Amino acid sequence: MTLSTARTPSSPEWFPRMALLSFLDREHSIAEPDYSRWLVPPAALAIHLCIGQVYALSVFKIPLSQLIGSGPKAPGNWSQETISHLFQIAIVFLGLSAAAFGAWLERVGPRRAMFTSACCFGGGFIVGAIGIYLHQFWLLELGYGVLGGIGLGIGYISPVSTLIKWFPDRPGMATGMAIMGFGGGAMIASPLSVALMNFYKSGHSQGVTKTFLTMGVLYFLFMMFGVFTVRLPKPGWRPKGFVEPTTGRMITRANVSVNEAMRTPQFYLLWVMLCVNVTAGIGVIEQASPMIQEMFPGVIKASAAAGFVGLLSIANMSGRFLWSSFSDIIGRRATYATFFALGAVLYWCIPISGHTGKPWLFVLICVVVLTMYGGGFATIPAYLRDMFGTMQVGAIHGRLLTAWSLAGVLGPLIVNRIRESQIAGGVAKADAYTLSMHIMTLLLVIGFLSNLLVRPVAERHHYRTATEPTGVPT
Amino acid sequence: MRGRLIIAWGFVGIPLLWGVSQVVARSLALFQ
Repeated sequence: MTLSTARTPSSPEWFPRMALLSFLDREHSIAEPDYSRWLVPPAALAIHLCIGQVYALSVFKIPLSQLIGSGPKAPGNWSQETISHLFQIAIVFLGLSAAAFGAWLERVGPRRAMFTSACCFGGGFIVGAIGIYLHQFWLLELGYGVLGGIGLGIGYISPVSTLIKWFPDRPGMATGMAIMGFGGGAMIASPLSVALMNFYKSGHSQGVTKTFLTMGVLYFLFMMFGVFTVRLPKPGWRPKGFVEPTTGRMITRANVSVNEAMRTPQFYLLWVMLCVNVTAGIGVIEQASPMIQEMFPGVIKASAAAGFVGLLSIANMSGRFLWSSFSDIIGRRATYATFFALGAVLYWCIPISGHTGKPWLFVLICVVVLTMYGGGFATIPAYLRDMFGTMQVGAIHGRLLTAWSLAGVLGPLIVNRIRESQIAGGVAKADAYTLSMHIMTLLLVIGFLSNLLVRPVAERHHYRTATEPTGVPT
Repeated sequence: MRGRLIIAWGFVGIPLLWGVSQVVARSLALFQ
């Protein structure tokens, strides 16, 4: 390995740098002349398809609770409640790292960020596997939860600003494609995990340790494809025939830094919009299987309910691509107005559809609702770009994702708590969701009003230097 | 470049289609 020890007064790095890793540098990631921008979405998908695995973590719940002895009741085994903390820790660290590392990502470029994400996410699996082998839950938490969670956060935001720079004509579609991958990741990880556990299973082992090790290596290698494929456009690059929009007041041509963005009301309005949209959607996803069975007792069995959950995940994934692409045509504000107005009506109608005795109507409403849940996630980066420009949009997106962390707690809390208290109060199970769906409607009305209040960012917040955005205010 | 594009999209598209097909197969239970 060659070591470069060149130190210049202009370089802040006063330690030897490994030349082998210099290809990760921002300046070495600039696209060659014949590079096609259509290589960037697969690079982004390579990252998002992997980190989307977090949504399939539940497949490990039962095997992890049966590591010792012959069943979950054997002394010393981890309870399912303990294991569920792993997901929560990973999601919390996703939000925290996305918020904390956003500005760093804009400075070092997507390639180094993707590489770091691959190391953290793959390494998280390896450390987690050691934790499982030694049966030390804290080590599993540290590996998959903390290290893996940091990989999730950095990986989630790493391709966003790069895609927006490559697709100034279709930013919604470009970021929607990547964020669609996060929805699709669970679809791959769930059957893959089950297949690997069956392969490694033996008389005395659940095969989870080896499955974690294998997945750590596989995911690292898959993410490295993204690292090697991604490129940044040359400063000033524009697609052929592209003309900057001049008529739309809601699309800025200026830039706002991440710290300045947090001083604008627009940031908090968009934060509220993301939070309420995700809260409402997670509330349905979380309770989808019991909800459909309890609303149509005797008609929908457990296997059909599992099919319903699968259908919702397809709706969630496809909505990410379709709505964000559609937002390029009708505008971000109109797209979110549709989410909130149509969503409010549909959430109100969910309990009514249960009373009609027509499961297809209930399924149809939930499918549309879930497309808008996914669409909300996928369209927000383009909305941020419209408001704050491209300079630090990845970092601003990272800060905004804290809304997701809160919504991840709020959504299930509203639906579960209200359902339990309603049933305890003598309400029939089929009617126990009515109040929570009405609360979701109210939240969406708040989102609708927030969207109405969004105005272009005041000029005093604009970044002053008219340079090609590098992410580094100079 | 065309070959590179096909490889790149195939690399991410094939696993994604495999995952989607698994979910679609499971979802069919809803309509039975």
